[in-house]
Amino acid sequence: MVLSLHLIALALYGVATALALAPFLGVGAPWRVLMLAVSAAGAALHVVGVSQLPVVGLAPSLSLLALCLVLLQLASEALLRASAVALFTAPLAAGLVGLALLLGLAPGAEVASGRGAWLLLHVALSFFGVAFLALAFIAAALYLVQFRQLKTKRFGQVFQYFPPLERLDRLNQFALVVGFPTLTLGVLLAIGYAVHFAGAVQVDKAQVVWGMFTWVVLGWAVWVRVVRHWAGRRAAFASIAGFAAVLLVYFALKLAVPGAERFL
Amino acid sequence: MSITVLGVNHLTAPLDVRERFWHAGHEVPAALERVLAAGAQGGVLLSTCNRTEFYLAEESGVAPEAVWSLLSERLADGRGAAEFGYVRRDRDAVRHLYRVSAGLDSMILGESQIQGQVKQAWELSRVHAGPVLHRLFQSALAVGSRVRTETAVGMGNASAPSAAVELAGKIFGDLAGREALILGAGDMAELAAACLVSEGVRVSLVANRTYERARAIAEQLGAGSRALTLDEAWEHFAAVDIVICSTAAPHAIVTWQRVAAALHARRRRPLCILDLAVPRDVEPAVGQLENVFLYDIDDLQTVAAAAAARRRTEIPRAEHIVDQEVEEFWTWYGGLAVVPVLRDFRGRLEAVRAAELERALKHLPDLTAAEREQVERLTEALLNKFLHQPTVALKTAAQDGRGYALLDALRRLFGLEAPRE
Repeated sequence: MVLSLHLIALALYGVATALALAPFLGVGAPWRVLMLAVSAAGAALHVVGVSQLPVVGLAPSLSLLALCLVLLQLASEALLRASAVALFTAPLAAGLVGLALLLGLAPGAEVASGRGAWLLLHVALSFFGVAFLALAFIAAALYLVQFRQLKTKRFGQVFQYFPPLERLDRLNQFALVVGFPTLTLGVLLAIGYAVHFAGAVQVDKAQVVWGMFTWVVLGWAVWVRVVRHWAGRRAAFASIAGFAAVLLVYFALKLAVPGAERFL
Repeated sequence: MSITVLGVNHLTAPLDVRERFWHAGHEVPAALERVLAAGAQGGVLLSTCNRTEFYLAEESGVAPEAVWSLLSERLADGRGAAEFGYVRRDRDAVRHLYRVSAGLDSMILGESQIQGQVKQAWELSRVHAGPVLHRLFQSALAVGSRVRTETAVGMGNASAPSAAVELAGKIFGDLAGREALILGAGDMAELAAACLVSEGVRVSLVANRTYERARAIAEQLGAGSRALTLDEAWEHFAAVDIVICSTAAPHAIVTWQRVAAALHARRRRPLCILDLAVPRDVEPAVGQLENVFLYDIDDLQTVAAAAAARRRTEIPRAEHIVDQEVEEFWTWYGGLAVVPVLRDFRGRLEAVRAAELERALKHLPDLTAAEREQVERLTEALLNKFLHQPTVALKTAAQDGRGYALLDALRRLFGLEAPRE
């Protein structure tokens, strides 16, 4: 069941990727409703699939991250009509689900109820925090591409289908401002979890390092936007640099401790 | 009764002629009353800056003469209006209106303004339209909407002033509440400003070399617009979002130094400068400044041309929809005409039957009541048999949209020429 749901979600994310790429392949823009429907259908099945997975492990984590990205894509589309976000999120979600399937997905044993809810909340909030950082990166990347189109006066498909600059800037700010408290809550839950169940859980140093590093990066990105009033290109570069740093640190830590059993 | 359209448009008449043919809203009723007095059963007048067209439901064939005469009077220079015009009848007239409403006959392919103008024309002419034109214009509005919904013929901005809106929109997203400054008083700047105002932009400042001209434009743009001299304008570069330049200066007046000086106060907010002047008002180097987006008239035309090219690829689909809708209207119209003619036809033959029966019965006084009734039934049965095939053929032809020609033949063959509603 878990595998079937993930496979169907993967197929739907594949279709969403094709629809997002359609304007750039000369096929014409797909109907917005169709794009939304395909992504929403994929996400709905994916939610059911993820709910049957264990909350730890690399493959379930990748699947959960993919789901968070698609949900944020749907929210961006609905709130800001930022359809072009799907250019990144759809293939990324398809790739993450595909990788999770390759690594092996299987229904997980339930963790003791009190700990289970705590852990579930921590994991969900933390991954949403990371997904918000990814969304800020996507908005920033789209901003820089559209900025270049407008500056160099190229009025092609990118100019036509990418959202306006200010809307992308707003999406970037929104993702950071909402993402930071979400991740903060996730980190606080992790600390509380570790203290409350001291001795019963094994906390890996790599997880702590990466979690805190991501929190600091996200906090810095919010600080420069909100306190220092960075906007536009400068804020976009900051988001891209921050997300790249978070990815680099993750891969470095993962290389140090390889294995598919744990996310880190 | 036939449907006729006659008039002029941007393809058949130069601007000075179109200007004279243009009817203000208050002139429409008088013009239509005059055409109706000449014999038309219904009329609608569509008058825009690019076309003046009379749509007539008429039978006599003399109403068109009245239209040309009316338009020729407006020329007042001895030329005949008919030499600038065109006439389309029946199905071609229906197709013409549908194409007009869909923007397929517009100077800028697919422009949406025409649909509002068609609606306004119908509303102004409603009391003179009559049932056929009423239905025709209702369906034309539906066809316009359908073409714009089902095809991309109205997508993008295919004129330079509306391309200005598209470019500003790609920077700012929602334009409502943005502030604009106009430098100079060129026609193109006024058009672009009008397009921006329609999107909610506040043109708060108008600067011109001549203060009086700036004040005239500011008044035209409505409350909230303020006139400035050119020298007063530079400090406002720090506050506004959009600057439209259209002065007649022989060299660039918006220099790199002037714009760069305003950027610090803008705190990295984007500034969109639309330079519509020829020669250009803005130094090209201004476009290199961070967060300054500079576009000249060539750029606007490139955006407009790209949109127009995208729209042109949609023409076959749009024409297909128009064809479908013409057939649908014509089927309805044929059916509408069949009913009264069939009623006349049957009435005429029924009168003949009754008269002949009465005459025959006078010569047969010995028939019993039952036998007289039998004879009467025989004549009725014969009449029904004779009428059955023509009735079926006419109704079928009407459903196929071919009823009008058959009806005309029937009227002539059986002398059904009495005027009808």
